[in-house]
Amino acid sequence: MNIHVRRNWPIIAWYATVVAGIIITILPFAWAAANSLRSTEDIFREMSPFSLRSFMPGNDFSAYVEIFQLGFGRAILNTLFVCFVSVLGGLLVNSMAGFALARFSFKGDGLILALVFVTFAVPQDALAMPLFILIRQLGWFDSFTALIVPGIANGLIIFLFRQFFLGIPKELIEAAQVDGLSWWGIYWEICLPMAKSVMIGAGLLLFVFQWESFLWPLIAAPSSEFHLVQVALARLSTEHGVVWNWQFAASTIAGGLPLLFIFAFQRQFVSALTGVELK
Amino acid sequence: MSLRTGQEKWIVPVLFLLPAMLGLCVFRLYPIFLSVWESLFIERFGSGGGRIFVGLENYGLLLNDVVFWRSVRATAIMTVVINPVQIALALGLALLLQRQSRHIRLIRTLFLLPVGVALPIATVIWGLMLNPNTGLINGILAVFHIPPQPFLTSEDQALWAIVGIATWKGVAFWMLFLLAGLQDIPTSLYEAMRVDGANWWQRFRFLTLPMLRRTILFVLVADTAANFVLVAPMIILTQGGPRQSTNVLMYEAYRSGFQFQDFGRAMAVVAILTTISLLAIAAQVLLLGNRKWDSK
Repeated sequence: MNIHVRRNWPIIAWYATVVAGIIITILPFAWAAANSLRSTEDIFREMSPFSLRSFMPGNDFSAYVEIFQLGFGRAILNTLFVCFVSVLGGLLVNSMAGFALARFSFKGDGLILALVFVTFAVPQDALAMPLFILIRQLGWFDSFTALIVPGIANGLIIFLFRQFFLGIPKELIEAAQVDGLSWWGIYWEICLPMAKSVMIGAGLLLFVFQWESFLWPLIAAPSSEFHLVQVALARLSTEHGVVWNWQFAASTIAGGLPLLFIFAFQRQFVSALTGVELK
Repeated sequence: MSLRTGQEKWIVPVLFLLPAMLGLCVFRLYPIFLSVWESLFIERFGSGGGRIFVGLENYGLLLNDVVFWRSVRATAIMTVVINPVQIALALGLALLLQRQSRHIRLIRTLFLLPVGVALPIATVIWGLMLNPNTGLINGILAVFHIPPQPFLTSEDQALWAIVGIATWKGVAFWMLFLLAGLQDIPTSLYEAMRVDGANWWQRFRFLTLPMLRRTILFVLVADTAANFVLVAPMIILTQGGPRQSTNVLMYEAYRSGFQFQDFGRAMAVVAILTTISLLAIAAQVLLLGNRKWDSK
């Protein structure tokens, strides 16, 4: 080992670990994407015996055509629709609550804040089954309403907005009041437009919560006309057997779409989640 | 900092809060009570259906059910392993990615890929990778002359395979919180320790860990709560098998309700799980009690 290497070994070790980590992180998704462009026979041929060609993308688009014929496009449109409504509704409802918690003090606001904390601490999936009974009683079983409405009010998102609105100087609010603006006007015309970065971060969180949900759409809306991508993906194998390239193609679409959003707004996503801007 | 204005002082906040509070109470809080209430009934089959109030009988049946106890065992084993492993890996990754280097943004982005890939997708892809006959992992093992492993088809390996999948998916997410926590530690403190001659381990042990304590506890509790309800890999890949080895409580609840239509039993299991979740939160509140959430 020469002196140059010895002095630099921490950096070399760092890079080696990072590269190994990236390979483990990327490998499954890259493998799925590459093999979504192969026929199932070709997939197996590269696999046994294993060859590195398995990671080269193929050029057979038939899997994509076939899953769209099976209604996967419908599932994507359903998901985009459900996400769109959830994000808009969630931003409105939760920002209003966050505004009220930041701007007013009244009896019981501590209790409401405690409620907000409890609801974001109990995992949503733990309540999927009692929620299922509730949805049946409300007559919402197997509908878009069942998929959208229960997820709209969200303690974490309320908290994010509250924290932001607390930071708006109260001189600004008082000036607006002197100008005769109503509370709705102060919320809608003054505070909300200032909250752009929170809106992006919170919107992304709402989008991801909805996009990732699996157990809830699986039990709340089982009909194929309401299938969301995660459910459609899981059902591909139960309804048609495990067709490898279909599963790869469906995974690539369902995995790729949110990645576009998340990486485009990575900063806002991370700061909404952790409350910190990463340096 | 309140801005009270005459008679509208309570009606305005109520109107602003109403939609969200209605949503939280109906869809987040009420289901907690509903799970306890519904667990006190059994469904009556045959003559007209309906259901009968049975008090705590569903719980009594569970306590005498070997399937339930096996499920508790699987949940306990998984919980004890998956959470420390995920936190340790997330902390290691955060320390790794804390370093400033030329391509650090790109490197972090690459590591964040599993955050964007939903768990069901990760599950489907890993299910194919772990296929005993034609999967990628056994293909790679064969290159090193390691005999093919059964993975998800084996009673001994299935739970660990699922732990691996969930860890691949989860580590980067928890890493984000720890990375944010690391950046809150003033670099001047590190400089001071370095001047005093502290080595890497001493700086980690006596500066990083104590300063990161709250973040670690928060992540640990949140991760534990999340892993208690980990169920997508069981639904998609193993159906609780082989031989109930992956039949964790959350899957047992799902199976009781949706395969056996025994909602009383399902709700009893959910109520037990929720209790455990709330205990985890109570632990969080006790341990992080002095944490300042408020900037009011």
